[in-house]
Amino acid sequence: MHFRVLSLIVAAVVFAGTAACDEKLSDLTGPTPNLEPTFTSIQRDILTTGDSSGRPACINCHNGNPFVPGNYTGSNAYAALVNAQSREKPNLVRVAPGDPDNSYLVHKLEGGPNIVGERMPRGGGPFLSSGQMLVIRRWIAEGAQNN
Amino acid sequence: MISLRILGLLLTLSVVVPQLATAQATPAAPANSEDSAAQKPKDDDPDRDFNRSQPDFVIVNLPTTLRLPKFKSAFRVTHRFGRPLGQGDFGDLASDLFGLDSGAQIGLEYRFGLMRGLQVGIHRTSDRTIEFFTQYNVMQQADHGIGLGVIASIDGTNNFKDSYTPMIGVAVSRELGRYGAVYVEPMYVNNSNLLPSDLVDDNDTFMVGLGARVRLHGTLYAVGEFIPRSGNTPGVNHGTFGIEKVVGGHTFQLNFSDGFGTTMGQLARGGTAKDNWYMGFNISRKFF
Repeated sequence: MHFRVLSLIVAAVVFAGTAACDEKLSDLTGPTPNLEPTFTSIQRDILTTGDSSGRPACINCHNGNPFVPGNYTGSNAYAALVNAQSREKPNLVRVAPGDPDNSYLVHKLEGGPNIVGERMPRGGGPFLSSGQMLVIRRWIAEGAQNN
Repeated sequence: MISLRILGLLLTLSVVVPQLATAQATPAAPANSEDSAAQKPKDDDPDRDFNRSQPDFVIVNLPTTLRLPKFKSAFRVTHRFGRPLGQGDFGDLASDLFGLDSGAQIGLEYRFGLMRGLQVGIHRTSDRTIEFFTQYNVMQQADHGIGLGVIASIDGTNNFKDSYTPMIGVAVSRELGRYGAVYVEPMYVNNSNLLPSDLVDDNDTFMVGLGARVRLHGTLYAVGEFIPRSGNTPGVNHGTFGIEKVVGGHTFQLNFSDGFGTTMGQLARGGTAKDNWYMGFNISRKFF
């Protein structure tokens, strides 16, 4: 009798375990459902394309224009971001591998209190969603690899 | 689909239970000796006896190893007021009636004895988390020197539509004569982080619930819990203490906690901050 009940409980636990599923990344990243914490994905979904929220692509302005800091087009993008000194805040780099809180890119995208100039994208938004920022932060926290 | 099946099962139980569970009432005196004999086996169920060391099915949030009699039930209300007691000076605190003026996270819980030693239940908190739980008491202290129950639960946010967090563990108790009981409850909580695993380092929590209930006088008890964790450990380790009075089938408990959590997933996610303590209370009622 006890064995039967125990088996029942074990079965219930296994059942519960399989019922539990991880949250989907796409539920968080909203207008960029394929966004992942890799450079390839960030370049594809954030830097080079806008999204359905109306957010413009970064390269609309950051494309080698001498009046706009950073050239985030194609093969220039990684070097222009990772360990690259910020022009507005020379004591910070745009992306500090492993340290999203001290990456000027994050400050500019989140509109931190110490940024110079406007929060990006300029013009008052639409800005990146908190889910999209979590993905960018995760990529940086994992070492900002060129993956 | 799976969650719908669980929900269906619990809904069925909630329909059947009220018919089976009679409210606590003094049984009418038997009309004759035959009636008395017929009543006897039912009344002899030791699970119905009041246990001075373990008067309730939970300490504050952690389960005890008290057995719920077959086809009987119990109800519990939990309140965790949202005002940190350390905010402002004593005058501010008194003017907010020690936090009672603030909003609260409220939990409603119902549990049912499915068979001897096996109970199932549902707990819903006002942040729209629903937890289904079960417990099977494998060992009784009278036979084995300790009480041991296998515990399992699964909770889901957004009315059990998102972020499912299952838990499995055991509750080990040792009653201290008639003066209370101590508990050790190792638990594994899966998917305790509400973010996708792509964005987090740890998605599971292993925690050890430590708890105690000490009888101070008559049916007045002091209770306490502390839950150290490893793995995904946001916030601070859950800690709580309180005082409670058992009156008939009711237990009234006033408690102080470092967080609002009452489900296992919430406890795995920890309290709010080291210096934030909140007043709360539990009221439970046994229907037997």
